[in-house]
Parts: sequence; C-alpha cells; structure tokens
Amino acid sequence: MISEIIRIENFSYQYAHTDKPALVDINLSIKKGEYLAIIGPCGAGKTSLALSLNGIVPHMTVGEMRGKVFVDGIDTTQSEVSDLAHIVGMVFDNPEYQLSQSTVLSEMAIGLENIGVPRDEMLKRIAESLEIVGLSGLEERSPLALSGGQQQRLAIAAALSMYPKVLVLDEPTSNLDPMGKEEVFAVAARLNREKQMTVVIVEHEVEVIADYADRVIVLDQGQIVNSGNVNEIFSDVDSLARVGIRPPQVTAVTAGLEKKGFNFQSLPVTLDEAEATFSEWLKQDKVSA
Amino acid sequence: MAGEIAIPITYISGNSWFHKLHPIPKLIWSIGALVLAFSTRNPLFLLCFFLFGLLLIILAGILKNHLKVLMILLPISLSFIVLQSLAPAFPRPWVAISELGPFTIYQEGIYSGISLFLRCLAAVNFASLMILTTHPSDLFTALHKIGMPHQANFMVSTSLQLIPIVQREFIIILSAQRSRGMKSTGFSAAIPSIVPVFAGTIERIQQLSLSLASRAFGSKGIKTNIREVKATFKDYASGIIGLGFTFVGAWYLIYFGDELDWSEDALLPVLFSEILVVGSAIIFIGTIFFFWRKAKG
Amino acid sequence: MSNIIECINLSHVYPTGFSAIKGINLKVKSGEIVAILGQNGSGKTTLVKHFNGLLKPTGGTVSINGLDTAKQTVFNLSSHAGYVFQNPNHQLFATSVLAELEFGPKNQGLANDEIAARVKETADFFQLHSIINEHPLRLSFPLRKIVAMASIYAMRPSIFILDEPTTGQDHGGAEKVRKFLRKLQDDEKTVILVTHDMPLVAEIADRVIAMWSSEIISTANPREFFYDLTTMKKTKLQQPQVTALSHRLQNKVLTDGITLTVPETINALEKVLT
Repeated sequence: MISEIIRIENFSYQYAHTDKPALVDINLSIKKGEYLAIIGPCGAGKTSLALSLNGIVPHMTVGEMRGKVFVDGIDTTQSEVSDLAHIVGMVFDNPEYQLSQSTVLSEMAIGLENIGVPRDEMLKRIAESLEIVGLSGLEERSPLALSGGQQQRLAIAAALSMYPKVLVLDEPTSNLDPMGKEEVFAVAARLNREKQMTVVIVEHEVEVIADYADRVIVLDQGQIVNSGNVNEIFSDVDSLARVGIRPPQVTAVTAGLEKKGFNFQSLPVTLDEAEATFSEWLKQDKVSA
Repeated sequence: MAGEIAIPITYISGNSWFHKLHPIPKLIWSIGALVLAFSTRNPLFLLCFFLFGLLLIILAGILKNHLKVLMILLPISLSFIVLQSLAPAFPRPWVAISELGPFTIYQEGIYSGISLFLRCLAAVNFASLMILTTHPSDLFTALHKIGMPHQANFMVSTSLQLIPIVQREFIIILSAQRSRGMKSTGFSAAIPSIVPVFAGTIERIQQLSLSLASRAFGSKGIKTNIREVKATFKDYASGIIGLGFTFVGAWYLIYFGDELDWSEDALLPVLFSEILVVGSAIIFIGTIFFFWRKAKG
Repeated sequence: MSNIIECINLSHVYPTGFSAIKGINLKVKSGEIVAILGQNGSGKTTLVKHFNGLLKPTGGTVSINGLDTAKQTVFNLSSHAGYVFQNPNHQLFATSVLAELEFGPKNQGLANDEIAARVKETADFFQLHSIINEHPLRLSFPLRKIVAMASIYAMRPSIFILDEPTTGQDHGGAEKVRKFLRKLQDDEKTVILVTHDMPLVAEIADRVIAMWSSEIISTANPREFFYDLTTMKKTKLQQPQVTALSHRLQNKVLTDGITLTVPETINALEKVLT
C-alpha cells in the first residue's frame, strides 16, 4: 500500500501586515513517490505552500497560522526547521543565492556538518549525490564558476546528501537557459523514477509538467481551485484561463479546434499524445460535427 | 575600475612548514609578535625583527604575495615618519634639529617616526605570515575545538565569498543605470548606484538564510567538520615556544626599556633627516593621489 | 529603410583574454524585431552591450543610427538605444514608480512638462496608474519587470534592447510583455530581443540570430530557423511545441510547412481536417 508522506489539514496562513491571507484552507495529501506539480499565477501562494513543507512557514516567517502540516508524521509546528531538514530537501529559484562557500565540496558539507554526520560518511554521501546529479569531479571548483544549470544541480545535490524523503523545488528553472532547464527536469525525473523520491515542484513550464507529473494542483489566491492528473487539469482549458494559466500549446490547439466544431474524445496534453491524436484523425478522415 | 581593487590579503595555498603548522600556534606567534613589536621603540631591534619576519616569509614561499601587501602599506607607513617628525608622540623635552618653512623637525620625532614605521612593518610581516598560510576554515575549525561557536567559521567564509559578489553586482548596476542616462560621477549617481546593491545584498542574504535553514543550520547537537585539523607534537611545541618567547622577550624589552632608548644617542645628520621627512611626505601624498585617480576610472 | 544598427567584423576580447565574440557582421533595419538566441556564454549579452555603448569593440565597428559607438558615450547612446536589464532589481532604486519613470527623462535633461507628459503616456500604456505611488521593491517580480521596461520606454529610444523579458514571469506577466512588444512593433520601433522563450520568438520576431561559441551561426526568419533542425540541435535550442507538432505531422498531415503559433496551427489543421 502506498502511504502518505505529507498531510496538510485545513491549513491557512496570513503574513503579518497584509490584508489578505496567503493560503486559505489547504487540504492536501501527498503520497510517497508521487511527482506533484503546483501551478498558479504569481501571488497565488505557491511559494508559501512550498515553504510550509519544511517548516520555514511558520518558523521563519511572521504571521498567523491555522491548521496543521504533517511531514512524515511530524507536526511542523512542534518541530524546528533544522529537524525537518533531513526529511524534506528544498531547492529555491535562484541558483546563486543558495550558494555561499568557496568550493563545491565545502558547499556540500554544510548540511552534513550541521547534522553531525561523521567525516567518512560525509565524503561518501557527497560523492554519491554529486554522481546522481552529474557533477562528479567538480569538488574543488568554485560554485560561482559553474553554469546556472550546474549551480542548481549542486543545490539539489546538497539537499540530496541529507537523504531526504521529499524534494521540494520552488520554480527551480525560472533563471536557467534551456540547457539548464532540461538538466534540472531530467535530474528530478530520474530521482522520482529511479529512487522513488517524492517530488513537489512549483513551475510555470506547463509543457514539461505534462510530461512528468503524476498530479497537478492549481492554486489561485491562496486556495486549491483544482486538483487532478495532467490530463484532467490541462484539458480544462477554460478553468485554467480563469486563473490566468495557459495550457500546453498542443492542448490549446485542440481546444481551439473544438470551439470550431471538431470533436475530440480527449484533449492531448503532450506532444506525443497530440501527434497520435491527429495522425489517428486523418486515418479516419473525420469531419466537423 | 572597481573590479581591480581586489583585496590581496587572502589565503595562498602551499606546502611549506608554515602552511602545515596548526593554526593555533600560528595565532600565538602572530599575537606574540605584535606584543613584542609594541614593547619597544628600539630601531635596531625592530629592524632585526622585521628582517626575521621577512626571512620566514621567504621560507614559506609567499614573498610575492606579501610584497603586494607591503606595496600598499609602505607609503602609508611612511606617513608616520612625516607626522611624528613634526609632532612627536614622545615625552618632552624635544630637540629641534631643523626648520623647513613653517615646520620644525625634532630629533625625538625622527626617532619615534622611524620606530613606528618599523614597528608597523614588522607586525605586518607576522600578520601576513599568519593570514597567507592559514585557510580561514582551518583556523575556525581549530578555534571551534577549543570552544568557539560553529557559526563563526561559517560567517567568516561566507563573508569572504560575498565580497567579490557584491563587487560584481555593483558593476552591473552601474551599467544598468548608465544605460538610463545616469552620469557615472557626482552626488546624483550615489543613490541609484548604491540602493540596488543594498537591496540586492539583503535579498540575497534572506534567500541564503532560507537555503541554509533547509540544510539544518542552527540545529542543536554535535557538529562535525569536513576539514581536518590535527595537532601534533610539533604544533604543541611551536605554541609553547611562541608563548615563552613572547613573555620573556616582552619582559626583557620593558625591563631594559631605558637602556634601549637610543633617542638621545641615535643622532642622524640634519640633511638626512630633512630628506627623509620630505621624501616620505612626497611618496605618501603621491600614493594617495595615484589611488584616487585609479578609482576614478 | 536604413540600417539602424550595423556591425562590421565586430569582435570583443575581454581583458582576461577571453574572446567573447568574433567576426560579427550584422545589419538591422529600422523597425525590425530581431531575436538573438543561444546558450549562456555564447556571446549574446556581450554582443548586445555594444549597441548602447556599454562595451566598445576591440576589433571592427558598431554604428547606431549612423553614429560610431567607439566615439560615443553611453550617455549619448542611451537616447538612441534603451537597454532593459534582465534583473529589474539592478535598476530599481527610487521610492516610487513615478520617480523611476521620471529618472530617464530627467537624465536626458528634459523640461518638467515634457517629463510629466512622458510619464503619463508611459503609465497609460503599461497601466501603471494604480501603482504609480508604490515603492518598486514592494511590487511582485513580474510587475517590477514591467516597471523596469516602462522606465526605459519613457526615454523614447528608437531601439529597445530587452534582455530576457519573459524570464521569471508567470503566464499573465509574459502576456503583458507580448502586448508591449506588439505595440513596439506597431510603433515601428527596432527591438533586439535576447531570450530563451521560443514561442515568443516564433510569434513576434522578424529575424532570428543564433549564436554559438562566440559566433553567429545562423540568421534566418523564424520559419526557416525552426525548420533547421541541425542548427537547433547544435545550439541546443528547442522548437515551440506547436512547431514540433507541425513538423512531426509534415508527411502525414500538414504539407504547407511548419507552423509557429497556436492560432496558425489551428487554422492549418482546420484546413486539412475539413
């Protein structure tokens, strides 16, 4: 039986000195090994939600919290952020802002030093994590000399070395070039598929999410307005438009054709699905309804 | 431009005996050297001390880097000679030996000036020896073992990383604002150039603190270190010798202070004194002017 | 139409010895929207920094509106070519959006009533009236990017250099940028667009310049560029999803060539399916 790794119950949060809550009555259950994507317009509360998964909200923010967040059974309000660090790994949107040391090795060591891992074990975990993200051999390099994609992979490796059960990524590719974006998505996918890592990713790149995610939740003005698998969410084009999100291009094309009177059993959400849909169509030579 | 004014005082890696020495004895020797240098004004002693430090620097293989530091400090130290000669920090009475326009050069002033000059250089030699051969992380790892908080190590290494980053950001911001027609000099350029640097640095630090918190920064419990600093017999011995040398030396210099005071005896020829003072002034003012022009870009 | 930007054998070697761009020959006509593509480090940013004088050529020449940039100051060129930096935080410093919009025109030495007119027109276009007195640093990131663009627009340059205008934006913010670009197109402004956003390029660019390893390896219109899979592979860039779809359906469905945008794809498929 697949078990639950994160449970959020009636969770609301309002930052001090604001007139609206950032999150309203969030109820969410994340299963082990799931690849969950969170989408929504800017200001919807996506980052606040992500930061609540390792206790940064509420411990490092000022505001009022209601409800509960349980991570691996632990109530986040009853534990410190540092206690959750080895359960939930967090990667932020700006690669460079996460790095502070003069070598890749010392950057990787920070987390492990903080949780008191013995030196030999440290070196083993570092080598392992760097290998998973494809940065082996760069231990003595300065993090500032790495490309954006490499820096972000370093941030992922640093999180991985703590052996977390969940990896949370908050808009990890927004500052990267296409190559860097691909590197990060590939690593996240590999972790999810090969290591059964639970992945929670906040993203705008809907075309990519459609390829990887098991489940998508749509956030708007602090509330979950929709939740389902990629096909359910992305084919509901009108609902997405209401919150200012555009669907994958192929879905938009098919929805547009629907409006012109064509019938589709279901809207494709990935390139492969779209190719199949239209190739099929032409074989059967369908005409307008 | 701004990017060229780099700070030359950083760790230089190497394999000399000094590099391998434990940070704590090095710290003891550096502080001891400072104590000794400030225990006397005797120019001969200070000169020997300076040369001894220089010898150690050559042995450590860091002469080239150290000379860069000296290049900056030398002209500034020469100002001591100028200032002291005209207004000695020395007990009266003073003996005037020359008049240059409105200024009077005093014998005690020359003596005091030369002493301060050599004191400064001697102390810098040993400070350099310490800083250039010790990786900051090793120093703080060692201090951590004797009770210093783990956080201090981290703060130092992070601050060192921050300096080139802030420099780089500043240059980008200047480009951005110049692209909006801002003139690069003058008072009106100050706020548009500096506010973004501050805002950016604060945002960076905020993000960094979240990233570190996510890596258990601030957790209670035992911390480990990836860097290894082991103390061997050699290190203990150096430390103890250093302490001993400092105490004995300081005691000697202070006890025999009066006999080592050569201010009455070391009479320099008048012309030499005049050239020394004027020359130092020219070099000092010239250096300031040079740096001011360079910073203007 | 004259060449508003002309690069002749332009190269730039940094003081470290690194050759960032070499042998660049480029002519941009007035009113053209040119997209400059390539991975980070390919020389894109170095190239466009020559267009407003932030960098001067170490070899070859660059002329903007007929002016040789080597003989011009950044100040002079800032009225011809406005550069919107990728990170708005590098530009925003004032205590209100109004002051940000005034900054450029003030530097240009305009009279107060002219400055006020420019600010009003800019605020109208970007719909900034509701936040005109807000502190820029309290705005969301997408809004900050808009304010940064607006503050350059207020200087009325004939050339706009936009560095990654849609990066870091949500879909709504990206749409605002698209609207802005379409307006610039209508106003016949010249736009140099440095971007990774391929759908944006497909939609709006007249011409695409692809850079790889300090050189221009392709200049073509978007339709030709996105069809050229060899160059795309070399520069590690990807077609917009609809273009990839139309490409795949080439032999089976669409025989009129690839499509660049969603509406175009809808129309092309409609034609075939009826």
